[in-house]
Amino acid sequence: MSSQPSALPNHTPTVSGILRALLEADLTVQLRNGRALLLTFFPPLAVLYGLSTAKRGSRLGGPIVDVALALTLGIALIAILGYTASVARDRELGVFQRLRVTPAPTWTIMVSRLAVQILSMLAMTVVVLVAAAVVVKVTLDPAAYLLTLAMVIFCSALFLGVGQALVGLVKSVDTVNALGRLSFLPLVALGLFGHSDIFGTTFETIARWSPGGVVVTLLAGAMQPSAWSVDTWWALPASVLYSIIFAGIGIRWFQWSTR
Amino acid sequence: MALHVDDLHVSYGPKRAVDGVSLDITDGEIFGLLGPNGAGKTSTLSAIEGLVRPDSGSIRIGEVDAVAHPTAAKARMGVQLQSTSFQSDLTIREIVRLYAGLYGVPLSRTEIDDLLANVHLGDEASKRFSQLSGGQQKRVSLLIATIHDPPLVLLDEPTAGLDPQARRQLWDRIERLRDTGRSILLTTHSMEEAQAVCQRVAIIDRGKLLTVDTPTGLIEKHKDDPRVRKVAHGQVTLEDVFIGLTGTELRD
Repeated sequence: MSSQPSALPNHTPTVSGILRALLEADLTVQLRNGRALLLTFFPPLAVLYGLSTAKRGSRLGGPIVDVALALTLGIALIAILGYTASVARDRELGVFQRLRVTPAPTWTIMVSRLAVQILSMLAMTVVVLVAAAVVVKVTLDPAAYLLTLAMVIFCSALFLGVGQALVGLVKSVDTVNALGRLSFLPLVALGLFGHSDIFGTTFETIARWSPGGVVVTLLAGAMQPSAWSVDTWWALPASVLYSIIFAGIGIRWFQWSTR
Repeated sequence: MALHVDDLHVSYGPKRAVDGVSLDITDGEIFGLLGPNGAGKTSTLSAIEGLVRPDSGSIRIGEVDAVAHPTAAKARMGVQLQSTSFQSDLTIREIVRLYAGLYGVPLSRTEIDDLLANVHLGDEASKRFSQLSGGQQKRVSLLIATIHDPPLVLLDEPTAGLDPQARRQLWDRIERLRDTGRSILLTTHSMEEAQAVCQRVAIIDRGKLLTVDTPTGLIEKHKDDPRVRKVAHGQVTLEDVFIGLTGTELRD
């Protein structure tokens, strides 16, 4: 028969205290990697500029979709390449094993990391939206800005779920990096073609309901609430479903150690 | 009793790593676990630390059932893993602050700096873990393992890779921990270390605990064992007992 744990003589860690300590550390690490963070801002800005000046830009859905695509690329970059690489590297170093022998529940270790990534994505979103307003002259209503930031959280959760599944199931750092690069392009490209009929309507439908397509639909809808459609409504539960499936797989079968 | 392990079994797939290990560690005791590579030392520690779930058996940290209440058990023990690493972008001061927070120990910057100065790391507070020497890294790890004043400290090969000076310093620190009433379970390959700091030593091989006693008690108990006599060169040593009981073949 197991006995109930008695109170500690000196210290009792609380979940809120544990989360605060983890968040502070993870945020410090993220800010200290400022250069890497800034580099993740560059590709979405470059895509935004490239799409807005390309002649076929209008065929992909117009300037709002251009901004949505740039945001999709930025979110995917942070989630699929940045997050997975940092988790795989820390796992290889044994950082997670060290954390796991503390009283910190394992979910707090992951939640803290994911929360910091979502903050990074929100920061990237603000930079891209400011660039869109200043450089490409795409401005939104105040409500649309708020809705966009809210949808970025859903989209971040989706792509972070994909990243979590990838890094959760694959142990090797090199394989995680390689698979990240391999899966990154199709995810973003499908988002791109979900709003284009250049490969036909069947492909467009598949692309539109792929993870990348759902993200572009949500972001484009949020930036233009007047054009919020039935598809946009359906994209919302679809993003939640994708997030639950991918993150569930990645957390349930997460390999804490490379041994 | 600081630690009570009874009939512990741990498997990794079809491979049985720990096969019925039982041991007790009393308050204020340094207990050494000796064994060749792959003998089950780290797996035994991992089960106590809550890193692997045992197939069967019980583990009690003081009054707490560590299998049923792993979080409460983890709060009562300090751990130094065999190969410890911390977040590479944090400074030593930030690492100490993080782990103090995880154990619910509120520490100010001054208090952290004082703790680091106590282990002769005052000047390294702003450095990264990877910038420290092996001995300094072990001192940081030991400081973090004891930051919450745990009654039980688990040290997995704490002096591996250290030079003689750093090793002696660490032995002194381990003995000081014992002198403050803590119990310590350490694994080691070093017979010298086992004899120098451990009150009792257990030899483990192929997942089974072969024998437990004081270092001199083990020599007395096994000095006439033919397997030990066969490998002894003159007077029987603890290493002769170890080799005699575990065999001479190489382990990976």
